[in-house]
Amino acid sequence: MEQKPFTISRRTFLKGTAATAVTLSMGTLDFRSWARASEQGPVTRIPSLCNGCGNRCAIFVFVKNGRVWRIEGNKEANGNQGVVCPKGHGYLHDLYTPNRVRGPLKRVNGRFEPISWEQAYKEIGQKINILLLDNTPDTIFWVNFPQANHAYALRLMHAMRSPNYCTHGSTCYTARSAGWNFTVGKLPSNDLKNARFIMIVGRNPAAGIDLGQVKDIVKAREAGAKLVVVDPRCNETAILADEWLPVKPGTDLALLLAMINVIVEERLYDAAFIERYTVGFDYLENEIINYPPQWAEKICDIPAETITRIARQMAAEKPRALVHRGYHGAFGSQYLNSFQTARAVAILNSLLGNINRIGGVYFSQSAELGELQPTHPVPEGPLVPKSDGTGIPGRYPLGAYGDGISHAIPELALRGKLKCGFVYHNNPLRTNPNPKRVIAGYKKLELLVVIDPVMSETASIAHYILPASFHLETDEAIDTKHTGKRAQVTLQQKAVEPLFDTRSGFQIITELGKAMGVGRYFNFTLEEANELRLKPLGVTLADLKTEGVLPVGEPWKEGFEKLDTPSGKVELYSATLERLGYPPIPRWEAPLVSPDEKDPHSFRLIHGKQANHTHAMTANTSYLMAISHRYDLIRLWMNHTRAEKLGLKDGDLVQMTSLVGEGKIRVRLTEGLHPSCVWLPSGYGIFSKHLTTAYDQGVSYNDFLPTLFDPAVGHAMSSEIIVTVKKA
Amino acid sequence: MPRYGMVIDETKCVGCYACRVACQNQNHLTATAAYNFLDEREYGTFPIVQREFQPIQCQHCDNPPCVTVCPTGASYKREDGVVLVNPTDCIGCKYCIAACPYDVRIINEKGFVEKCRFCIEFVEEGGTPACVTTCMTGVRIFGDLDDPKSEVSQYVAKNRHRLQHFKGELNTKPRIYYRKA
Repeated sequence: MEQKPFTISRRTFLKGTAATAVTLSMGTLDFRSWARASEQGPVTRIPSLCNGCGNRCAIFVFVKNGRVWRIEGNKEANGNQGVVCPKGHGYLHDLYTPNRVRGPLKRVNGRFEPISWEQAYKEIGQKINILLLDNTPDTIFWVNFPQANHAYALRLMHAMRSPNYCTHGSTCYTARSAGWNFTVGKLPSNDLKNARFIMIVGRNPAAGIDLGQVKDIVKAREAGAKLVVVDPRCNETAILADEWLPVKPGTDLALLLAMINVIVEERLYDAAFIERYTVGFDYLENEIINYPPQWAEKICDIPAETITRIARQMAAEKPRALVHRGYHGAFGSQYLNSFQTARAVAILNSLLGNINRIGGVYFSQSAELGELQPTHPVPEGPLVPKSDGTGIPGRYPLGAYGDGISHAIPELALRGKLKCGFVYHNNPLRTNPNPKRVIAGYKKLELLVVIDPVMSETASIAHYILPASFHLETDEAIDTKHTGKRAQVTLQQKAVEPLFDTRSGFQIITELGKAMGVGRYFNFTLEEANELRLKPLGVTLADLKTEGVLPVGEPWKEGFEKLDTPSGKVELYSATLERLGYPPIPRWEAPLVSPDEKDPHSFRLIHGKQANHTHAMTANTSYLMAISHRYDLIRLWMNHTRAEKLGLKDGDLVQMTSLVGEGKIRVRLTEGLHPSCVWLPSGYGIFSKHLTTAYDQGVSYNDFLPTLFDPAVGHAMSSEIIVTVKKA
Repeated sequence: MPRYGMVIDETKCVGCYACRVACQNQNHLTATAAYNFLDEREYGTFPIVQREFQPIQCQHCDNPPCVTVCPTGASYKREDGVVLVNPTDCIGCKYCIAACPYDVRIINEKGFVEKCRFCIEFVEEGGTPACVTTCMTGVRIFGDLDDPKSEVSQYVAKNRHRLQHFKGELNTKPRIYYRKA
């Protein structure tokens, strides 16, 4: 009938409840027979949220004959404005993948055996009690991709007196956020729709899809705006652009410093804004003199006259000109200089006087949910540093305590500093650098509990797997992801009954709390919690359930307001950075490593997203992997001229080797890539044999990336990889 | 009687494949069967490079070779211009697949031919084809070419000099207009 998910014998499986067996037989109804039977079936439409990536787009789910049929975008939603991306359409089929975990599992002598939820909770609670006899609570950690219910995971860690709640941020965006925080106090959004000049550095919203941003870029372009894309690769957003600037990877900072130089030297900045709302312009003037475009050209490979021209064009449109605030690409967590690059982006925007202005970068409105107390007391945080070092005065002084440094977890486990972990909606074995160390670290844990709908790499080494329901099978916590000119609240709602013996993330977190002896902090139902959290916003849960998206709070107002920085102004010069021993004005800083220019086999390995995949999560989605195969997308991009020197033809198999890993992959030869690097699409290289669609397809950049920590922020520096590429 | 047609603005396509998967869901297709295709091209020499994607689907020709060659009359053109395949008459001879210059016809697991149907049943209920509504850059415009108020006819009227047919030299007279880069 279908592939066997894991090594559970039919006999042990049948021990499951009768109810499970019934839903199972319905769930495995063959797709085509359902399709034929349901052509005339009644259709219901449920407002909910997509979970194909972190954007949580608002959607309507169409259910036909008890099976999810298709989705449409909700036009009211700020984030996706009525449209859906390929991942959203494709990922819904993961509900029906044969690879799902069908009930709680416990690893016994290297094999997984079914266990009841109650027994699993009891055993986890007991193991933690034993562990805490001779260990402090900070040996427990929780890591997740942050979503609406992460507030309850944080609550659980605090209730256990552990500071170690972590996100994936150190492998994604912490350097970018830190750069903005130290300059304007927080991370802004981009008012792309109203901009007259848009420059995007490294970010690629057309493939690392942000639907609303792409829609806004298209609107701006139709209204006559210019778009410049800075990226070593001619990426998919560049297709919409007036100009592609193929910067040498790791040198975006040089380009930005030279643009600042032109704007300062030629006095093209918004003088009134600088005067009133910034500090340290004179320091900037003194420092930036060192970085003329002629200097930058030699470093970043963008001609000096281009840099000067772009800077002038941009300044001519101020304040309706912006440099995209960035996400992962170029300065999210890539390089040793990523923090300074993010600072330069923030400073360049500030010189254009566009902070919190129409057509500039602005502080979007975000829904402030209510609290659960006084009815439900909130545990006090342990107020101690995390085991990864964030929070220790002077260690990672520019890093984010809230995110922690999740790629330090395996190293801490190897050193015995972490003993027990919970991994939810995350798969560090595949998405963290240097998988050999990650596997060794996570395997050393005395207790590893993984909450996931499928048997991911990380789940496959867990002691207990608590299967999360698919997002279309459960209600969840109120979501505030849709920020914008007016804040919105959104809600994930159940579209179909769970196929298997699975539970929602919210339910698992609260039940774990009870099992771990801190049930007093989890004495509420999802319904109660959602109602309490909506209360101050003046909207009802009933209305939200009907609409899926509701606007809340006041609309955004243009204009400068006191910033959350020590001076309350834009810190072109940061006294805090000076005190901490970092350049208070961005200074050129070379990447940590660079390819050997004399060796024709030496490249920098960079990575990015393809539009049809989200991290490693969607690699196993049959509808999305089919695209990768049909269009031969699982290939390493390389510039033609470099390939010629290596005797490579398009489609040839190459052997790629770094300090820590090696792998084989076929090449795509292109003119659209800086010759100093090779580019690898992310999300491939799945090595869990239980993910049958994705298993052994391609490689991941993490296979080649050593375990690195940026000394200031702690990010993974995920493009500081030099590889040797040879014909295989 | 409407005269259905479509504009595809190739300059806006970023090659995300959302149209392919939205269509698969709308039409209950399996993971590997699709009615929408993308042809990627790259021009120029580093650092002056341009990439483009051409979305390709059934062109709903007014002079459809697939209809001409079909031995059973299974491939037919409706009065509103939509080219369809009647599954009860299709014998799976694949003659139409060979005749179609756009290579957009596929054979399903039951052995008969399928291809883009402009989501016609859905359109008749007041819907818009799934490939149109899902697109983040608004590549496609669909509607009645004879209705002067429709977005598609206004677009065609305004941009006629910029529009062309795919392989127009073959005289297939497609109902899809392309705007090229």
